[in-house]
Amino acid sequence: MSELDAYRSLYIAESRENHENIVKNLLVLESESSPEAIAEIFRAAHSLKGMSASMDFKGMERLCHAMEDVFQEIRNGKMAVTHTLMDTLLSASDTIETMLDDIEAGGPGIPDELDDRVDDLKRWIGHEEGVVPGGVPGPAPEHAIDMGIQDVAAPAIDMAGSSRYCISLCLNESCDNRNLRAMILLQNLEELGRLEKVTPDRSIVEDGDFDGRFTVEMVSDAGIDAIKTVTSSSDVKEAAIQDLQSPSSSPAVIKKATSPPVEKDEGKKPGLKSEKVEKGREVKNIRVDITRLDVMMNLVEDLVINRGRITEIAREHQMKDLDETLNMIGRSVSDLQNLMMNIRMIPLTHIFNRFPRTVRDIANREGKEVDFIIEGGDTELDRSVMDGLNDPLMHLIRNAIDHGIERPDIRVSAGKPRKGTLLLSARRDRDNVIITIQDDGQGINAERVRKKAIERGLVSAEEAGGLSREEVTDFLFRPGFSTADAITDISGRGVGLDVVRTTLEALKGTIKVESTEGAGSKFELLLPPTMAIVTVMMVRINGRRCAIPVHNVVEVASLEEECIHMIGGHETILLRNEVLPLDRLDDMFGNSPRTDILVVLQHQNRKRSIAVDLIEGQQEVVIKPLSTVVGTCRGVSGVTIPGDGEVVPVLDVNAIIKET
Amino acid sequence: MGRILIVDDTLFMRTLLKNILFSGGHTIVGEAGDGDEAIAKYQELKPDLVTMDVVMPKVNGIEALKGIKTFDPNAKVVMCTAVGQEQMVKLAIKTGAKGYIVKPFQAPKVLEEIKNVLGS
Repeated sequence: MSELDAYRSLYIAESRENHENIVKNLLVLESESSPEAIAEIFRAAHSLKGMSASMDFKGMERLCHAMEDVFQEIRNGKMAVTHTLMDTLLSASDTIETMLDDIEAGGPGIPDELDDRVDDLKRWIGHEEGVVPGGVPGPAPEHAIDMGIQDVAAPAIDMAGSSRYCISLCLNESCDNRNLRAMILLQNLEELGRLEKVTPDRSIVEDGDFDGRFTVEMVSDAGIDAIKTVTSSSDVKEAAIQDLQSPSSSPAVIKKATSPPVEKDEGKKPGLKSEKVEKGREVKNIRVDITRLDVMMNLVEDLVINRGRITEIAREHQMKDLDETLNMIGRSVSDLQNLMMNIRMIPLTHIFNRFPRTVRDIANREGKEVDFIIEGGDTELDRSVMDGLNDPLMHLIRNAIDHGIERPDIRVSAGKPRKGTLLLSARRDRDNVIITIQDDGQGINAERVRKKAIERGLVSAEEAGGLSREEVTDFLFRPGFSTADAITDISGRGVGLDVVRTTLEALKGTIKVESTEGAGSKFELLLPPTMAIVTVMMVRINGRRCAIPVHNVVEVASLEEECIHMIGGHETILLRNEVLPLDRLDDMFGNSPRTDILVVLQHQNRKRSIAVDLIEGQQEVVIKPLSTVVGTCRGVSGVTIPGDGEVVPVLDVNAIIKET
Repeated sequence: MGRILIVDDTLFMRTLLKNILFSGGHTIVGEAGDGDEAIAKYQELKPDLVTMDVVMPKVNGIEALKGIKTFDPNAKVVMCTAVGQEQMVKLAIKTGAKGYIVKPFQAPKVLEEIKNVLGS
């Protein structure tokens, strides 16, 4: 492993932040001229360039350098941000992302398109001045430093008793930016006295148009030793100091080894010597690898399970002495659990930030005008939930632009504003996070959906006629259903809302849609802030314990035999004028003789009921996935281990309702 | 060996530089991520030397240098420069920067420059 590999993950993390920043500000810039956005992009590209150079990722360094150059021109007002330029910049930022992916995977980050991207950017530099593309390097124009700073005035020195010196200096060939080194030397000499003459001329030296040799004539009362100190830099190969007022004196020549002194400590590698670090008050944040947090979370979960187990044991053996300690442990474990939850929470901006770019691209391609508004990006979600959320959201946003928002001419003729509005918002609602994607487009055409459903054989023509609007829109979530007549590049490939729904269900979330024809659609996603800990209702069926996630339970009622009716060979129950299918779950738990409690379950808009023996109560549990040894088990989404140590299956309500 | 304040907007660069300076036996008394923070930390920590990035959000390195120089005219500030920043660094030198180190950093060169500036 190379020495630099240790910095790779830090490099990736920070580079991604900078990349996101570039994209975000590019989009700002596209809609309004913002000096802040320009400065921010310049800074981000610059940081990325510097970090890449340090990591020796040459490709990234080149690309970011080119981008930085373009923004330098924009910043100086020499170039305007046009639509075509924006496309070039966005393509470049896409390539940056590709490169970061490659680097993260251990590659060098040099994709095929890199040269094209760099050339594209370089073509813009000097665009207006007709500079040959590619002929970039050279000193930046002088106005780059026009920041209103005056040269520091030469110090006023009492010249009584001072001497006149002639100092000849020669800089090492290996010295980086010799003009800067010369400037510092001149500046330091100036602090010792008055510079009478600099050969070549000071401005020539400052511009770097010299061979590394320059001579200074100065008047100073600081003494020759002070001058020697000032001129003894590692970048100075040779320094000759002559006291002009004592003609006999021969110049004091300080010669240095020709090879740069740099080599001498080459063996020293930057390593962390923490004992020398003053424990910094400054370090308030640390970066932790997410896999470590996952491991920690698992440990906390085990602790939660075992705390329950110990409590049970103490109760069984009536060990009162243990109670107090157990209470304390219980409190600590709860605190630890809450803390772990909080640590894993990240704000939704992490994924929301990517969407403005998507919206812009799709809208452009589709010839639509969209005002994209993001609200509540600071709402936090567990990382595991967040990970799975990107694709469904991306899909819904694409759909909203592709199918929802109309083209400007159509909107205007319908009396709507030319620009469509797409709102992506998030908020915390008690125990859930609600994400809404709302557009003011054409809404869902229920008739078209109904027609399509019949065409696809999902429903018969007679049945379709009796379906409510809600039931009709539900077809949109069926596999393979798409109403887009023309299959576009963006959506409507038939892989659609069904995938969105399935993904959300895997995250223990739900999705519903409200739509008004002509006025727009609103998709509402309901998500648990975390997947790790779920409140369940503990029930017994045929004496065996089973956990049902509380968010799937609508109500509990007593099961009256006389309310059970057979409809189509299946038991149903009439509960307050509502007809609900009734399941016995005999095949899972065996036939129970005394099931007299009814639990009504809901998944999406569909309800079913199951019969159980006993309700034990509600409990917060950690749901563990089924072991790979067991494989998948229909109707069971995982297991949980409550305090008594028994392994309890967790009912997969979604699957039960779907299957029937 | 000196007490050093590192100013750079990226944690990556700060970490890299910090490790180089540690290896040279220096003490890092603080870090700052932008110019404002740099000026505040300078006043609070009074370090022997500051390494100053040029391009930073909010207040850039040149402005921070001016701020620090106003507070302490003898402040020793070493600019961290990269390709294409010569004009900015020239300006920094005219404003009173005492040295410069070039990105990508080479540990021996960095330590040499720090030693020189601390000794001046």
